[in-house]
Amino acid sequence: MTKIETTLPTLLDDLGRFYDPKAWHFLTVNGVDLGSGTIELQWIFSKYGAKDEVVIYYALSDYDTPVPSVVPLIPSAFLGEREIVDMFGLSVEGAARGLYLDEDSRPHPLRRES
Amino acid sequence: MKKTIQIPLGSQHISLLEPIRFKFECENEKIVGVDADVGFVHRGVELACTRDFEFKQVGYVVARVCGLCAITHSLSYTLGAEKLLGFEANGRIKYLRMLMVELDRIHSHMLCLAHTAENAGFEALFMQIMADRELVMDIQEAISGNRIQFDYIAIGGVNRDLTPELEALVHKNLEELSGRISKLRELFEGNWSLSLRYKGTGAITLDQAYAYNALGPLARAAGLATDVRVESGDFPYEAVGYEMILESGGDIHARNILRLREIVNSISMCRNIAANLPEGEILEKTKGKPKGEAVVRVEAPRGELFYLVRGNGTNTLERVRIKTPTFSGIPAMMEIFKGSQYADAPAILASFDPCMSCTAK
Repeated sequence: MTKIETTLPTLLDDLGRFYDPKAWHFLTVNGVDLGSGTIELQWIFSKYGAKDEVVIYYALSDYDTPVPSVVPLIPSAFLGEREIVDMFGLSVEGAARGLYLDEDSRPHPLRRES
Repeated sequence: MKKTIQIPLGSQHISLLEPIRFKFECENEKIVGVDADVGFVHRGVELACTRDFEFKQVGYVVARVCGLCAITHSLSYTLGAEKLLGFEANGRIKYLRMLMVELDRIHSHMLCLAHTAENAGFEALFMQIMADRELVMDIQEAISGNRIQFDYIAIGGVNRDLTPELEALVHKNLEELSGRISKLRELFEGNWSLSLRYKGTGAITLDQAYAYNALGPLARAAGLATDVRVESGDFPYEAVGYEMILESGGDIHARNILRLREIVNSISMCRNIAANLPEGEILEKTKGKPKGEAVVRVEAPRGELFYLVRGNGTNTLERVRIKTPTFSGIPAMMEIFKGSQYADAPAILASFDPCMSCTAK
């Protein structure tokens, strides 16, 4: 597993240079609440035909900063983006809340403060 | 612009095994747009894993994500936890784990084939396949003690050994199943309703499979050569006769045939595993508490199952991320619906073999 740091403002440029859909399989978007209001956001890829070659692009953010959508680069990412909106209460362009949660569900259940 | 109408399918529908809702935008009978709602059975498993249970219990919690592929969920988590503990299983444990995963694949593929047959109006064939599937269920029950929720995998090994009597049962039942699968393949290839009805229906191209990150049988039936069994070094699949199965049609027929061929390969691997089981303990002691971050990929019956496990050196984990095959397959499924006939939607959906319990977790 290789982890590569990026930032939210440069995310689309970094992924645009890296992601070749015929070489890399996009796994998912992930979030990990590190505490103190900091979230590690991860975009995870594996290489077709290679043994154990997993690349994770990650960026640190807070709860309030809007997260850019990677759907223009990776059309299948929309479900993963909706999931982190539900689970962490983040704002991702074009991703609505409600994939898993109802209106009266506990908000952002995977935040540490929850 | 042509006038379109919206037709829903689900969340409760006669063709659905689990709740999912599609909203189809149709021009007459043709689907031109799709929206999907997949979260009806969300149970908060990821939160429970990091709040309510200790890391040694989590393997049994995640087995409840899905009834059909409970074994791959508990295996994926366990591999992640073992990596964080610095533990590597011996050959016997790896073989026993592979055996259960491949048995799981056989019965899951058979369930999908049964429902595909049912969607073509073959009720009797549905019952026949489900009856044949009992041969595998009996082996799984005899080995693990359970028919569905196999709490077989444990951190450090597995909970039961394969005795000589069980080995004989594996060979006996799988030999019988081989003959029945051959007959099924003749039916799926030669019967007019099953083959011609599904040829060209619900097709995905190789380019679409790449673009929408299709995986598992859905991808391999379109010719995309991807399978975690060769892309992960966790298990010696090459040593037990693994063979990458590919089809090129990308349609329901290709997915049916691919699953039948994969069953044949899995039967062969199971028999090789049972006949060549290495010596060793089945459950070894592990030390310490998980610290750090590990990722695990396992080829579940529907495709790649991904776990990210993160620990901080205590009994409680910081994060357990579960990404299931159906969750990743939904974008490709939605593309396949576009251009199809509304009347074909239930059959196309059945051929995806979706698991909503996994997806919503």
